[in-house]
Amino acid sequence: MTRSDAVLITAIVGAILSFSFISSGGNVGSFGITILSGLFQGMLLFLVAAGLSLIFGLMDVLNFAQGAYFMVGAYLAYDIQHTGGLIDVGIADPGLRFIVGVIAATLAGAVLGVLLELLLRPVYKRHLFLLVLTFGVSIVMLEGIKAFYSVTPYTWTEFFGIREAQFTFLGQNFTQYRLFVLAVGFALMVGISLLLNRTRIGIIIRAGVQDREMVSALGINVQTVFTFVFTLGCAVAAFGGAIAAPFLGATITMGTTYLVAAIAVIVLGGLGSYEGTAIGAMIVGLALAAMQQFSITINQPVLASITPMMLLIAVLLIRPRGLFGQER
Amino acid sequence: MDNVQDVFQETPQDVFRPPPMWRVFLREHWLHLLIVAVLIVLPHAIGWITGDSPFGRVRGSRVIMAGESTYWQAIFIEMFSLAVLVMSYNLMFGFTGVISFGHALFFGIGGYAVGIVVQYWDVDPNLAFIAGVLLVIFITSILGLLIGLLSLRLRGIYFAIFTLAIAEMAWLYAGSWRLTRGEDGLTINRLPEWIDPERSRLMVYYIGLALFVTAFLVIRRLVRSPAGAVFQAIRENEDRAKAIGYNTLRYKLLSIVVASVLAGLAGILMGILNKSARPELLGVTYTVDALLITIIGGVGTLAGPVVGTAGLHLLELWVRDSSIILSLNLGLFEFTLNFSQDWILIIGVVFVVVVLVFPYGLVGTWYRLRARVGDWWERRRATT
Repeated sequence: MTRSDAVLITAIVGAILSFSFISSGGNVGSFGITILSGLFQGMLLFLVAAGLSLIFGLMDVLNFAQGAYFMVGAYLAYDIQHTGGLIDVGIADPGLRFIVGVIAATLAGAVLGVLLELLLRPVYKRHLFLLVLTFGVSIVMLEGIKAFYSVTPYTWTEFFGIREAQFTFLGQNFTQYRLFVLAVGFALMVGISLLLNRTRIGIIIRAGVQDREMVSALGINVQTVFTFVFTLGCAVAAFGGAIAAPFLGATITMGTTYLVAAIAVIVLGGLGSYEGTAIGAMIVGLALAAMQQFSITINQPVLASITPMMLLIAVLLIRPRGLFGQER
Repeated sequence: MDNVQDVFQETPQDVFRPPPMWRVFLREHWLHLLIVAVLIVLPHAIGWITGDSPFGRVRGSRVIMAGESTYWQAIFIEMFSLAVLVMSYNLMFGFTGVISFGHALFFGIGGYAVGIVVQYWDVDPNLAFIAGVLLVIFITSILGLLIGLLSLRLRGIYFAIFTLAIAEMAWLYAGSWRLTRGEDGLTINRLPEWIDPERSRLMVYYIGLALFVTAFLVIRRLVRSPAGAVFQAIRENEDRAKAIGYNTLRYKLLSIVVASVLAGLAGILMGILNKSARPELLGVTYTVDALLITIIGGVGTLAGPVVGTAGLHLLELWVRDSSIILSLNLGLFEFTLNFSQDWILIIGVVFVVVVLVFPYGLVGTWYRLRARVGDWWERRRATT
């Protein structure tokens, strides 16, 4: 991170924070809640965008199916946690069921990721066709889920006492579950960062982002690395969906909604840069929360929904390659 | 100099005579002419076969649009509109190499601008409609120019996402603005009689056909002109095109502006057909449709978008109307596939299969296959 990067990011975050402070009317409690809610939304965006960014960085593929993995994860976790679902694991304790659901969703995401990667292999050299293929697969997954879960008026049963419970922060109430998502998401963020920066496969991935041909010239089987990254990206998305489901619920359109915002995030952060994605997600989340607060005050709900796009346009006009992007 | 003598003494039958112009033209374009001729007589032919008038049924003093012929006219009008949208996208993306994820912006502006002018400007509907069309051409060209200018600064995928952001903003805004009637969409019911699909659909059909043919000819002329050669040079390698001395920005702008205006005109046709402009016109679905159909039909081929649109649209129609139900019993659970209900699933599978089977798109793969068979034939003839 160069000095000008740091200055720019500080300026953006500072502007968002002061804007949200003004729009919350100088009320410290409501300001604090806005920040927490912003970080929470940023974390959800990050969970979709992380895999997208890793896959795009290494293989130049914009994986249109990433949102579908998010949705599949949410549905599976929903189903397993629910006692009368399609899949009955036969565990009585709802807390344990929740954990099993999240693990199963992550594994399912990984398996589906491997399958998609195998399907993509014949057309690797043709990036455009990868777009069509991933889009087709996302349609198939969406419709498949629709066919299996024709009706989903599932309700969550309480687990560990964290879903419904609230805690008081500066005189305002905040759901504990959102804090839990924040913590888990942050752990994942650090985990992937360690994987990229401190392990051998991480070095290979980062080298592959820089120059793929050079890496394979050094005698490393890039194909295996591709499979690994693809699986990791899809598993992370499914995990994100599973974690987010108790709060967001499971709907067919959730994947598509988050996909567009996640694309905005990875471009804003700069394609191929993992730190960029993490910081971009947080910036977009904070801006979204601040704008939601503001749009309630002036009664213009559309302002909140166009915020990620406006932010993206503004950043691209200042920095044509996003915050940390390279020429590509 | 006895050679000269030889030339003059040549017998008349040895002199090469070019075949007459019309025969060359026919040999090159018989398929195009045939398709246009079929499309011209199609409403009448369907009407003649099924016994339904192509002008609709007379009910008392009014004419209502019922019957097979008018039903198929509506389908073909939608197809013309989509085909023009996809062809315009192909001009930009397939021939010039500019990827945009926000092409639906221009499509939606076409529908909305005409709708707003016709609905809110209280003058003679004919005048209002023509003013609306001119306004669409004006707005789309200016907007295309502005967005195109940014392609100087934003390259490749960054430009694509930038256009996506603008189109998404327009989509969200159209869904909540009072002037555009928010989510419900703007109903367009003050159209002049000659272009109202509820009163004279056959006229709209021929206008759509004319738009389709004109767009095809414009794009064909543009692509085969010197400017078109520069477009393709930009697609292959923009830096080299610059190095030869072309002002590539100017050519990209030309391509983007023409594509934007054509997409706007296609949007007008769609707005007229539905008699409403809804936020979906601006949505990412139409852009993705245009992108996918271009790729499936054949990127950078003139016929690709047309073949892709016709193929996918008719397939979609057939799957939706069919009553095929497949039942799969996998022991653990039973899976039934109802074609008319799960038609999106079928389309998704078709996308995947087509991409894996036709790696260059339908038309692109056909050209390659034809070239390969031709080579093989030549070689075979040379050896024997």
